[in-house]
Amino acid sequence: MDKNRILLDHGSGGKIAHSLLKEMILPLFNNDMLSRLDDGAIINIGTGTRIAFSTDSYVVDPIFFPGGNIGELAINGTVNDIAMCGGDPKYISAALILEEGFSTDDLKIILNSMAEAAKKAGVFVVTGDTKVVPKGKADKIFINTSGLGVIPKGVNLSGSNAKAGDKVIISGTIADHGITILSSRENLKFDSDIKSDTAPLNQMVKRILNQSLIDKRVIEQSPTDKCPTDSSNSASNFNYRVHVLRDPTRGGVGTTLNEIASQSNVRINIWEDALPIKDSVRGMCELLGFDPLYLANEGKLLAVVSPESTNRVLEAIRQDEYGKDAAIIGEVVGIENSDKPLERSGVFLKTSIGGFRIVDMLTGEQLPRIC
Amino acid sequence: MALKYVSEYRDSQLAKVLIESIKEKIEALHSSGSIKAKKRLRLMEVCGTHTMSIFRHGIRSVLPHTIELLSGPGCPVCVTAQKDIDAFIELSKQDNVILTTFGDLMKVPGTFSSLQKEKADGRDIRVVYSVFDAVEIAAANQGVTCNCNQANSANKTNQAKEVVFCGVGFETTTPTVAASILMASERGIDNFSIHSAHKLTPPALAALMETPATQIDGFILPGHVSVITGVDGYKDVFDKYKVPSVIAGFEPLDILKAILMLVTQQISGLPALENGYERAVSQFGNVKAVQIMNQVFEPADSVWRGIGHIPESGMRLRDSYKSFDALKKFNLELKDTPEPVGCACGQILMGLKTPEQCMMYGKKCTPAHPVGPCMVSSEGSCAAYYRYKGL
Repeated sequence: MDKNRILLDHGSGGKIAHSLLKEMILPLFNNDMLSRLDDGAIINIGTGTRIAFSTDSYVVDPIFFPGGNIGELAINGTVNDIAMCGGDPKYISAALILEEGFSTDDLKIILNSMAEAAKKAGVFVVTGDTKVVPKGKADKIFINTSGLGVIPKGVNLSGSNAKAGDKVIISGTIADHGITILSSRENLKFDSDIKSDTAPLNQMVKRILNQSLIDKRVIEQSPTDKCPTDSSNSASNFNYRVHVLRDPTRGGVGTTLNEIASQSNVRINIWEDALPIKDSVRGMCELLGFDPLYLANEGKLLAVVSPESTNRVLEAIRQDEYGKDAAIIGEVVGIENSDKPLERSGVFLKTSIGGFRIVDMLTGEQLPRIC
Repeated sequence: MALKYVSEYRDSQLAKVLIESIKEKIEALHSSGSIKAKKRLRLMEVCGTHTMSIFRHGIRSVLPHTIELLSGPGCPVCVTAQKDIDAFIELSKQDNVILTTFGDLMKVPGTFSSLQKEKADGRDIRVVYSVFDAVEIAAANQGVTCNCNQANSANKTNQAKEVVFCGVGFETTTPTVAASILMASERGIDNFSIHSAHKLTPPALAALMETPATQIDGFILPGHVSVITGVDGYKDVFDKYKVPSVIAGFEPLDILKAILMLVTQQISGLPALENGYERAVSQFGNVKAVQIMNQVFEPADSVWRGIGHIPESGMRLRDSYKSFDALKKFNLELKDTPEPVGCACGQILMGLKTPEQCMMYGKKCTPAHPVGPCMVSSEGSCAAYYRYKGL
């Protein structure tokens, strides 16, 4: 492939996007905070306080789709990225890039959605910027948001924390957002009940963290429990039994699990029968030849949790308004324990007929501009 | 439209029963000494959608090791000759052209470029999900002349554009492309044209059988194509070569059932042409679709990538529809081009090599940097092998 120009693949979140990151960006900017490659950076600002800092640009096409629009997506996306780092999102910046001629009525709708989403998530938009470019130099509206949130003491979440024995939880049905965007595109009209799942997940993350902290206290009273504490954490009064939180947006559950497997150097086995997928979404995927494992979600999280806390964390997620369909979908396996030919890190799917297959990272774009 | 998922064709208990039956019959074949010196039963799934489904559901991992599944020449992108890819690229460079294509073709490397790269360079190349979308794009870009009635042209742009569709695919696709030409003809949409690289399935099966080295013990025949051709579409080829052949659907139980039927034929020693996809495929096929296809197209010799020239295996526009021939319209000619050195796609498509036996596989040729078409298409056997690591 030609390496001299940027192709849509470079923005896919898959393998080619990763190679752009590794070959062109990391060598120039690398530092401890960036190299973790989590959803946001974790910055120690002294006096023991850590903040999560994240940024994202939104270029979704179409800008209005069943279940939401680009505005609430831009707020929820950044809120969720901060929450996945363990941060409690509070302050957001928003920058608008508008195309000359864009309808002010549409802009009003989008700004109202942003305001409502911010209110719902409990965050403040505290700074921003607006630029207008000549017609044809951008597509209607692009939005960038960044955000900050303080990380509670003792919380230590990272894609590199998955351990053998951990269980993998998904907070609800997968592929809703990706298939919604696809089906609302021009020339692809289906009548269906599917809609984007865009939602703020910071309240759900609070529930998860609270639940796993209670766990620690319960488990501490049991002398038989020998689970090691998080080594990187000096605050020994805290031990959260949640090791990884990630929102499987671009690239879907398949790509996000691959990132976790690679960062933690483990194998993750998932079970096809356990994956929550709406019938309508599954049908549409079959029809169009998309694998739901690679389609984007905008209101779901993956939690990798110690086995003894799995059921309680699952219950906590199910009590959240966005977590009713949460399910345990797989487990983390140490590489050294595996049988041939599976002696490698990666993601494996046990299919409903009892076979197994590799779930590789997506190579190029499966679907452009989904967020 | 409500879409109901076909979970009954993925039932784990039924799958178990089928897998056990296959294992028992294979053991019976072994103990009777019927599987000869090579010790493996070589079954070819002709269609790329079958290849994908086999990988996706982990079917290889549940079969006895003595059953070898070969991926055949039924991935339309994979068998499209490099000269046709070059022609699509050349068409995209013509003035005022909107090139429309199915997404799979975007990354296929031509001699010097690909449609994806041309798009990055600013050519107007659009992915469509149906050829009828291409006709609608043409209708919306017919342009307005001075004499034109403005009221009738409200949804037309001022600048007329030529819309070209990349005609790739088998009997499943060709009738819809034929219908689109009839539609454009009826509506007087004269800024629409196609370049046809369409192919026919039965001549490819014959070509495989004429190559003894392929040693194929049975065909899993494509379900979609058979919906159009019917069981009868394969009758001539079957009568000539007498290879066990079963038409199969695309769900895991469909494929397991077809494999069981093929193994059963091996035991009986009586090759047959059987329909394992009765819920979709009839004896005679879709007569109307075949009639429309034959009204617009006629069989012609065609070059299959890696395999070469196969007589009467392509579909070209009949003379009465030549005005829709994009190459004629733009006065272009197909140029013969050499295929990439070292690419084993041809041998892989004929079941003579597995992807791992190609020296470029996984090294110079990966889905991110494909050399041959089998690595590009999601239905290509190399891409499927790579994605699922041969499992």
